Amino acid sequence: MGLLDTILRRGARAPARAKDDELFDDEFQKKLDVLSLVSRRVFSGKSRAERRTKKSGSGVEFKDHRDYVEGDDLRYLDWSIYQRFGKLQTRLYEEEEDLSVYVLVDTSTSMGFGDGDKLRQAKRVAAALAYVALANLDRVGVLAVRDAVNRTMQPTRGKQRIFRVFEFLRPLAADGTTELGPALRAFAAQQKRRGLAVLVSDLYDPRGFEEGINALRYAKFEVLVIHLRDAREARPALHGDVRLYDCETGEEREVTVTPKVLARFAEAYAAYGDDVARFCKSKQVTYVAADVSTPFDELVLRVFRSGGFLR
Amino acid sequence: MIFAGLPLSQVLAIAGAAGAAIVFLYLLKMRRRAVAVPFSRIWDRVLRDEDATSLISRLKRLLSLLLQLALLALLLLALGDPRLSAALVSGRSIVVLVDASASMQATDAAPTRLEAARRRVREMARGMSGSDRMLVAQMDAATTPLSTLTSDTTELLTAIDKVTPTEARADFPRALRFATDTLRGHEKAEIIVLSDGALGAAHDALGDVHVGDVKVSWVRLGERGDNAGITQFSVRRYPLDKSRYEVMIEVTNTHDQPKEIELSLLGDGDLVDVTKLRLGPGERLPRFYPNLSGASRTLEARLRNADGTRDDLPADDVAYALLPERRRVKVQAVSAGNTFLDAALLLDEYLEVKSVAPSAYPAQGRFDVTIFDGVAPKLAAGSGHALYLAPRGEHAPVKAGKELREFGFDAWEKKSPLLRWMVLDTIGVDEGFELVPAQGDRVVASSDDAGKKRAILVDGRRDGARFVALGFDPRRSDIVLRVAWPLLLLNVINELVEEDTRYISSFSTGEVWKIPAPSGASSVEIVGPDGAVAKVGVQEGRAAMLGQRAGVYRVRAPGVETAFAANLASVAESTISPAERVEVDGKPTAEPSAFTVGVRRELWLYLLAAAVGLSLVEWLTYHRRLTV
Repeated sequence: MGLLDTILRRGARAPARAKDDELFDDEFQKKLDVLSLVSRRVFSGKSRAERRTKKSGSGVEFKDHRDYVEGDDLRYLDWSIYQRFGKLQTRLYEEEEDLSVYVLVDTSTSMGFGDGDKLRQAKRVAAALAYVALANLDRVGVLAVRDAVNRTMQPTRGKQRIFRVFEFLRPLAADGTTELGPALRAFAAQQKRRGLAVLVSDLYDPRGFEEGINALRYAKFEVLVIHLRDAREARPALHGDVRLYDCETGEEREVTVTPKVLARFAEAYAAYGDDVARFCKSKQVTYVAADVSTPFDELVLRVFRSGGFLR
Repeated sequence: MIFAGLPLSQVLAIAGAAGAAIVFLYLLKMRRRAVAVPFSRIWDRVLRDEDATSLISRLKRLLSLLLQLALLALLLLALGDPRLSAALVSGRSIVVLVDASASMQATDAAPTRLEAARRRVREMARGMSGSDRMLVAQMDAATTPLSTLTSDTTELLTAIDKVTPTEARADFPRALRFATDTLRGHEKAEIIVLSDGALGAAHDALGDVHVGDVKVSWVRLGERGDNAGITQFSVRRYPLDKSRYEVMIEVTNTHDQPKEIELSLLGDGDLVDVTKLRLGPGERLPRFYPNLSGASRTLEARLRNADGTRDDLPADDVAYALLPERRRVKVQAVSAGNTFLDAALLLDEYLEVKSVAPSAYPAQGRFDVTIFDGVAPKLAAGSGHALYLAPRGEHAPVKAGKELREFGFDAWEKKSPLLRWMVLDTIGVDEGFELVPAQGDRVVASSDDAGKKRAILVDGRRDGARFVALGFDPRRSDIVLRVAWPLLLLNVINELVEEDTRYISSFSTGEVWKIPAPSGASSVEIVGPDGAVAKVGVQEGRAAMLGQRAGVYRVRAPGVETAFAANLASVAESTISPAERVEVDGKPTAEPSAFTVGVRRELWLYLLAAAVGLSLVEWLTYHRRLTV
């Protein structure tokens, strides 16, 4: 029996390991090249460091005026305004600098729920976006978050660094509870350079998905939320009297599952997604929702189309 | 209301225990199946709505409990088999006597009268009210109950299928006594007889059968009486030529019209004789077939209408007989020389005689019979049975009494096989002596001596062997000049070796047969005409069994196999015209009371059906998620 168990257990683990090995295979990398080309074709003519940040600085493109304060560089005083209105106004220019892109991958237990498709999809999407960003000469950092920043790949630059990204993503496993608020606040505190924060998560945060997104917003990051969903979770194969427990928190609920209850659950599941979308829209956060069954390259293109990643 | 199954106290006890268990299980919070979900908060939204309906859920669970308790109650009540007391009191107790005698095999009621009887009994069983009880019994030479007194239709229908036809007469008085005894103390008791009415009077050796208040009904079966049958079939070998035999057959036309019939006789399966006969209404015609030969063992008589058709009762159209076994009998003659004895023994070619001088006795070998002529030595082993002629001395089986002169046979047992076909009253004896029989001996013949009977021929048994003693030297009488002399010798030898030259009638069905068993056997196997084997114990050399089927039977004992035949041979059974009336206890029988197929009043069936129905409802509502 023990031997049989061992064999069965090995047999059961083998496909998962095989899937991890195939996560970033040659086929995947070819698709990354295609995506990179697509991104260049769409935004052709852009050169190095042409991606703009919201940061005002010493660029050449006028952005705004503001009152002069002591210490401002006198070269940026708008003398014509002073001449016409008698007020000291300093010209602000959009600072042109290389963009920092942070890909935040949720590695909580719920991402590995079921057969772990959400986490695999998250890794591939994260790798794809990182590749595109590296190809565009942006600085890319990848972080694994759950109730804290679990692992960090320091921002790096250069297309050839994509393999570091792979190496970073490959061993990530779903474990721990989701607490995006504290985790992303800690991330914001650690990263001095602001930039684009791409959150790839199922947003199953018991404290509420809003807290994590707000933490990024408040820290002046541009936020792109990629909400990974699994349609199978909307239609759980349950019936009768069951005791449900949360795979992360262990919270229990006793439910008698009937077709009516399942229908209500499907409605609640859809409503949760709608809530996230509505929230993001209201906060001008780019939001892309996708089912795990969506091919990753199609998902990345949707991200491109959303405009939150390529500008 | 009474409980015919489990008593009420047990039903209540089980109900209490099982009900408590169900309620306990209901109250016990069953551990539910644990299922992981990725995010329980979404379920919270669903459960908030669910809480609003928790009251309905509780009610559903309560309904589920009530449903289980109702199921339990129904099942326990069904186990208790409740009956309405009023219905029980008013129920009938019925004994159905199905006539399975030979005449019930008549084919005038297609396919047979017996099958028609079975149909009627099935209708009765199905038409009983819930409180009626019935017992089915087969009536033939014996009475065999085939069911209990029950209201269970299934048991009754099974019992009816067990009724088997016999070729015997029905013992109506015995069946009536059985039914009366069964119904004693029952209210609304009724005996229903299904028969063609050929039952005879309800009277036996114990007197008239009294049924008291029990109602006796008769269902008349059969329509006509077109039948002729073989009512006697006997055979015998000739005593002096055992290779030849004589057959007597009696044929009876029991129809009220004249019949032309064809009678065939077969010996060992080969046709011996065919005769066409014309019989008047009710005529009994005996027919002799003398001086037949060719058959060594079995004889069969067959009857059919002259036009080749069969009459209504085939069972009496065939009869069987077996000829007695022929074998050589070893005889040891111990004599100083007796021409008359030697000559008489030469007459039977089946005797193997060895003459021995008295001084050479005993000769080597085993003998069936030893004849002691004027001597009486001690009987040696292997001598078999003994015939003593004028025995004297200490080893004589009987003591010699008074000397007799000029005497004759004055008294004798006329039915004794020793004296068959003999004329004795003209025999004169010059001198002899009286034989003094011991206790248990039988005086076969005696002579008057001054008004006193003196035994001169005695039959008895000593040390397990039979003997016959004659109280005079045959040469001192004129018997040796008469036919009586060889007849006496052959009769005695045949009797001692139990070879019979009488008419051998087959056994009659419906009687207790006492079948001769091979010597030394304590039990025998009797193989019937249908191949059925019965093991029967042997007492006093005979195996007793009640025979109900005609045909040839084989008797098996270790190393030996014999056979005998049995025939219906009953004018009463061959008379198949249905009776017009049957009287019991001086009163004519009545029509059976009504049997109508109606609603059964056995509540347990309905209770069980309700329990099954409830289970079905529970199953449907569960799977449709109406009650969960």
